[in-house]
Amino acid sequence: MKFEDLKRIKIVDDKVVDKEIDEGIEIEEIPRNMFFDVTVIKINISKDTTLKLEFSTRKATKLDVKITVKEGIHLNLMEYRFGKNFKVRYQYNLEKDSYTNIVKFYDVNGIKEMNMIFLNGENAKIDYNFKTISTGFEKYNLTIHHNAPKTISNICNNGVNINDGNLQFNVSSFGTLDNKGCIINQNSRIINLTNNKCGINPNLFIDEMDVEASHSALIGGFTKDEIFYLTSRGLSKKDAIMLLITGFLLNNTNELIAKKIKKNINKYWR
Amino acid sequence: MNSLKINNISVKTEDKEILKDFSLEVNPGEIHVIMGPNGTGKSTLLNTIMGDSSYVITSGEIYYNDKLLNNLDTSDRANLGIFLGMQKPISLEGVSNADFLRTMVSSKEKENFNLMKFVKKLNEYQEKLKINKDMVSRSVNTGFSGGEIKKNEILEMYLLNPSLVMLDEIDSGLDVDSLKIVADNILDYYKESGCALLIITHYQKLLDYIKPTHVHIMKNGKIIKSGDSSLINDIEQLGYENLDTETNEI
Repeated sequence: MKFEDLKRIKIVDDKVVDKEIDEGIEIEEIPRNMFFDVTVIKINISKDTTLKLEFSTRKATKLDVKITVKEGIHLNLMEYRFGKNFKVRYQYNLEKDSYTNIVKFYDVNGIKEMNMIFLNGENAKIDYNFKTISTGFEKYNLTIHHNAPKTISNICNNGVNINDGNLQFNVSSFGTLDNKGCIINQNSRIINLTNNKCGINPNLFIDEMDVEASHSALIGGFTKDEIFYLTSRGLSKKDAIMLLITGFLLNNTNELIAKKIKKNINKYWR
Repeated sequence: MNSLKINNISVKTEDKEILKDFSLEVNPGEIHVIMGPNGTGKSTLLNTIMGDSSYVITSGEIYYNDKLLNNLDTSDRANLGIFLGMQKPISLEGVSNADFLRTMVSSKEKENFNLMKFVKKLNEYQEKLKINKDMVSRSVNTGFSGGEIKKNEILEMYLLNPSLVMLDEIDSGLDVDSLKIVADNILDYYKESGCALLIITHYQKLLDYIKPTHVHIMKNGKIIKSGDSSLINDIEQLGYENLDTETNEI
C-alpha cells in the first residue's frame, strides 16, 4: 500500500471537521432533522483511493456512514477511532469488480456498531480486518450480503479484552440463492484477559449450493505452548504476553495503523 | 561449574508417570546423546529441565550450576544459560521474528542491550546459517520450511549464548544440505563457547558431524544403558529391542 496519495476525512462527533480529498471522493452530509434522529454521512468512491478515516467523540454520538465503491474501483480504507459512547451504523456498498480493503483499529470505551456490507456486483470483494482493545462495553454486529455471483468476503475481527471490557462480535454472512461461486470467510478471535464475559456469534446463512464458506471463532487467552516457547527464550511472562498481544493486533494491518496500535499497546502494557 | 545434575527424578503428566527415578550428569564440554524408541520420555526430559508446566516433578531434584531448578520459572532457567532447541517450535502468527529476537536479547542483556550490536550479530549469524534475510521480517515460524524452522532455533541459540544447549530432534525435517549447515553451526558454537550439549536424535547422520562423548539409551522413562559413541553402531546393527536384552540397567 502506498501512503503518499493518502486521502483523509476527520469526523468529530457527527460532523466532518476536516478533509483532504480529491475528485474521486464525494461527501454528502445529511444532518439529523425532524424525520431522522441521526446524522448521515455519504461517501462515494469513484477513483482508486487510499483513505484514512479519523473518528473521535466528545459527547454521545449517533451516526450513519454510507460508503459506496463504484464499479471496478479499489478502496483501501483505514480507520482509527478513539473516544466513548458511539452508536454508529456503517453501510458499505460494493459494485461490480470493485475491491475494498478495510483495516480498522479502535481504542474506545462504550460502543454499539453495526456494519452492513453489500456485495452488489459480480466479483466484488472485501477484506475486512478489525482490531480493538476493549476496556468497556463493545458490541459489533456485522452482516455481509453476497447479492451477486463470485463475490468474496474475508472478515477478520480481533479483540483484546482488558479492565472492564465486555466484547461481543456477532457476524452473519448471507449467501443468497443463484449467486454461485461466492467465497465467504469469517474469522473472529477474542483474547480475554479478564473474567468478564465475551461472546462471538458466527452465523452462515447459505441458500446456494455452489459456495465456499468457512468460519472460526475463538475466545480465550494465549496457549501454554506459546507462553512456554517465549519464556524458554528468557522473556518474562509479562513480556511474552505483550509480544503476543502486539503480534495478534498487528497481524494483517498496515504500517499506518500499526503505529497507532503500537502506541496504544504501550499505553496499556508499559 | 555449569553442570547439570539430575538426581532420581520422577515426572508425570496428566497422571501418567513418564520419567521414573531418572538420573544424569552433564558437565561443560561434554556432548551427551540420548536415543531410544518413540514415547520413552526423551522429550519429556528436556521439557522438564526447561520448566514446561505440563510436566510435574513428583520426586528428585534438578540442579544447574548448583542451583535447584525444580520450582524455578522457565524464563529464570533460560537466564541461567539453559537453551532448548525444540522438535516442533510453535508458530506465532503476527509476531514478527525481528521483534521476537530483539525482545529475547534485550530481556537477557537488559540495560546493556545495544541495538546496533544486536543487528550486527543477527546479520553475522544469518549468514553463517544461510538464512534468507527476509525471514526476520516474517512471523515467527509461520510459513517457514522445515529447514528454516530449525535454523531459526539455532539462530536463537547463537543470540542467547547459552552454556547448556539441549536439542530435541533438531535434525528432523532437514534435507541433507540443511542438516550439514545446522550441524556445522552447532559444532562451531560448541567449540567457541565450551558449552555442554544434550542432544536427542533418532538418526546417526547428525552424529557423523557431532561426535558425542556420552551416549545413553532410554526406555520406559529410564536410561537403560550408557556408553561412548561406539554404542551408536550397536543400536544401528541390533536395534533397541535386541540391545535391550544385552544391557544392564543403571
